[in-house]
Amino acid sequence: MKQEKIYEDLYPILRRARLIFVFVVVFFIFLILNFWKVQILDHEKYWARSEANRMREIALPYQRGLIIDREGIILANNEASFRVSLIRENCDDYDKSCRKIARLLNIEEPVLKERIGKYASVPLFKPIVIKENLSLEEVAMIEARKLELPELILQSEPKRFYPFGSLAAHIIGYLQELSPEEMKKDIFRERPLGDLVGKTGIEKQYETALVGDHGLLVEVVDSLGRGREEVARSAALKGQDLTITLDFDIQKEVEELLQEREGAIIVMDVRTGEILALASYPNYDPNKFISRFTSEEWLDLVNSPEFPLENRAIRGLYSPGSVFKLAMALGALDLEIANEETTFICRGETTIYNHPFSCWREEGHGEMGFYDAIRHSCNIYFYNLGKEMGIEEISRYARMLGFGAPTGIDLPGEYVGLVPDPQWKEENKNEPWQKGETISVSIGQSFLLVTPIQIATHTALIANRGIRVTPHLFGSLSSNGVERENRSNIPSSRAVNIDPSIFEQVIQGMWQAVNDQGTGWAAMVSGYDVCGKTGSTQLVSKDRSEEEAKEEGEEEEEEMKTHSWFTGFAPRDNPEIVVTVLVEYGGMGGTTAAPLARKLFNLYRKKYDR
Amino acid sequence: MIDRSLVRHIDWILISLLLLNSLVGLAFIYSSSHYMPGNYYLKQMAWIAVGMLALFLFLMVDYKALVSFSFYFYILALVALVGVLFFGRIVAGAKSWLRLSFFQFQPSELTKIFLILLLASVFSKFRQDHISWKKGLLSGALTVGPVILVAMQPDLGTALSYIPIFLAALILAGINMKTFVYIMIVTMVIGVIGWNFGLKDYQKDRLTTLISPSNDPLGSGYHILQSKIAIGSGGFLGKGFRKGTQSQLRFLPARHTDFVFSVIGEEFGFLGVTLSLMCYFFFLYRLYQSVGLSSDRAGVYIVFLVAVLITFQFFINVMMVIGLFPITGTPLPLLSYGGSSLLTNYLGVSLVLNVKMRRFVFV
Repeated sequence: MKQEKIYEDLYPILRRARLIFVFVVVFFIFLILNFWKVQILDHEKYWARSEANRMREIALPYQRGLIIDREGIILANNEASFRVSLIRENCDDYDKSCRKIARLLNIEEPVLKERIGKYASVPLFKPIVIKENLSLEEVAMIEARKLELPELILQSEPKRFYPFGSLAAHIIGYLQELSPEEMKKDIFRERPLGDLVGKTGIEKQYETALVGDHGLLVEVVDSLGRGREEVARSAALKGQDLTITLDFDIQKEVEELLQEREGAIIVMDVRTGEILALASYPNYDPNKFISRFTSEEWLDLVNSPEFPLENRAIRGLYSPGSVFKLAMALGALDLEIANEETTFICRGETTIYNHPFSCWREEGHGEMGFYDAIRHSCNIYFYNLGKEMGIEEISRYARMLGFGAPTGIDLPGEYVGLVPDPQWKEENKNEPWQKGETISVSIGQSFLLVTPIQIATHTALIANRGIRVTPHLFGSLSSNGVERENRSNIPSSRAVNIDPSIFEQVIQGMWQAVNDQGTGWAAMVSGYDVCGKTGSTQLVSKDRSEEEAKEEGEEEEEEMKTHSWFTGFAPRDNPEIVVTVLVEYGGMGGTTAAPLARKLFNLYRKKYDR
Repeated sequence: MIDRSLVRHIDWILISLLLLNSLVGLAFIYSSSHYMPGNYYLKQMAWIAVGMLALFLFLMVDYKALVSFSFYFYILALVALVGVLFFGRIVAGAKSWLRLSFFQFQPSELTKIFLILLLASVFSKFRQDHISWKKGLLSGALTVGPVILVAMQPDLGTALSYIPIFLAALILAGINMKTFVYIMIVTMVIGVIGWNFGLKDYQKDRLTTLISPSNDPLGSGYHILQSKIAIGSGGFLGKGFRKGTQSQLRFLPARHTDFVFSVIGEEFGFLGVTLSLMCYFFFLYRLYQSVGLSSDRAGVYIVFLVAVLITFQFFINVMMVIGLFPITGTPLPLLSYGGSSLLTNYLGVSLVLNVKMRRFVFV
């Protein structure tokens, strides 16, 4: 009886329960469809992601090729270096381990956190380099706390090392971490994140030869980033070793001579264009830049008013001053405006185009012949030659003899200088050429700008009696001791259509300047027939303004602001070596630059000649 | 003590399906935790044994007696929940465990059973076709108590699982539109207040990143994404038993507990998922089939509410695993590792068996 009542009663209830169950069935179908989508339709996508999750590619560090001097002295090397990285996911308590690690590694905690914070978007199991170039004590300290600090991992990598520090720093260059923008370039696309790349000098010029191939290690990792199993490995390949033409002994001497000064010295083999020494001062220690971190020292160097990072030998722009008189003399002889017998009288001052022009020797030189004019560097003589040649011819010969164009030295960033002419002035200054400016150009002033390497190349061209050589540092490339490429004999060509006899006449003047009580007497080396030319000039920096230039011209400051040039070669017949010296604020070329050149001629002769 | 005729009416099919699903879970608990210390699969095996024992012992007590004492059980449960807030042990960020002398237990789990008994007791007294909104709110108030206490632990997943028990009871009792609208409004007001004052930040994050887990792969969306990667990478046939990289290499979170279904998806693929879903479906089907096979109204409610409780948790968990629902910490009933949940579900099924086998007994 009761039973009937209940069942009667329950009918609507059971109907509702059945309705709910229909929903359950629909829901099951809905779930199956969802799994179908994720597991069948989107399978590829998730499969790829699960593979990416578990596989890790590690770039195995390669060794950069060595840079070696002409006698086998290693100038750029690789040494083992340790770095320590942090895996955030392995930290029990992030703040606490930061505190601990900061204390252990002697890093300030905010600095450490900022460094790690930069990588906030990188997965937690990826190691972040927090300190590199660890000392052995630090390595030992971290190793001893391995159990206590599982979040730290030590890794070793070969690190570029320049055993002689600042020696030849401007030639060798330095390395820095690839920037994210650079990574996008084609040539760097294959490079791993954080790889170091040559930024200047040989390191940059021959980057593709010096760089090795990084190896690749593919391994299975778990979610903590722990390697579980190696899947594949390709070995790293060392870069090619590069022998450069530099002579360690001469380079060392050159840099000692430049101590406490600002300037540049170039020593070059006349016959081949091989650079034996090239230095710019002040300089820096490239070891300091091999870091993933911006050091304060680096910023100091970048911001220094003395521009220690600039290679003055190829990037310093100077007025050539009296050194330019060689080009003037060659042009005048070639044009037959002058010959051995041409004389002018120097009274210390002259008026040309209604404008007074003075000689550096106030009391005058008296009657000047062609050779004496070079020997004593008489301004009046060359004013007169310049007046007759005109600016068009002067600029034509200047270009022919190597100015206003790159020398082609195998170092990046060479400046071309400036050979002015009326057209240039119209285009750039919007003013017509002044006749008086031609007279200033005649003694290497005015707008004329050259680099020390151009002067050295120019001198070599004179020494070779018109045959041009290309200055270069490249010697040979080899890998594993097997020579791959040798460019030591770059063919030289007769580039200048001036008769060798004309060169002989100018060389006679240069010989007298050094050996016959001329301006370059201080460069004399007995028995080595040095031929040379001095110059004293004002620095014209590339950002120089007109006002500054005028001020510099004022007589009181002339002494102070005078740069000192000497360029020369030896011996006179069958020349071997060119030496070009520039000392900023050095005073007269004959008193400052020439004695330095003499020491280098002496050294070369002692080492190579006999 | 127990009537032979009662034993004859025990639903062995339901017990078999219960055991089958438990063993499927056990296999994947083994797969996803055998390499870790803790022996989770052995412990789960022990829990299954304990659960079975409890299930049969519980059958001896007539459910009608349980229903008549349900209000006292309910009070006892509330006291335990309050006690947990003061003396509880924190596991995974929530204070939900009571440590008894020999084992630890989550009172919030057992509360589900007491709530079902209480609601069955209350609703069996409504004899009309539809219940009034006053009575609806009264029974709602009884439900809200444990919801608030458990949400304070904070264990949102378990707290939310009480609500469908109550709603299901309402639906079964018959509810008119007006009442339903009232209840929906109250629910929404509580929801808005809860979102602004009740939810912890991590809970909000979980809800918001559900919409786009890829935006924040290492934040709260990380777990959802890893679970989807596990399931999706399984494909049709899966990577093979104990060969799921997402699970074995520990990319998958809570692999042996809340995300055990992802392991099935990864290691046995769509085929394995479909088969396990079918096992589950038959189990649920058997439960719903049992609704109405009882000697009184309370029995109908008990069977239905147990079915809804398990169904609800099942759906929440599977939707969470496949990225359709935020991570709330709801285990997959029977499959996920965990003694409290397993025991509760076994006791729930035991109640169903209890009602069913006594369907021909009339007082």
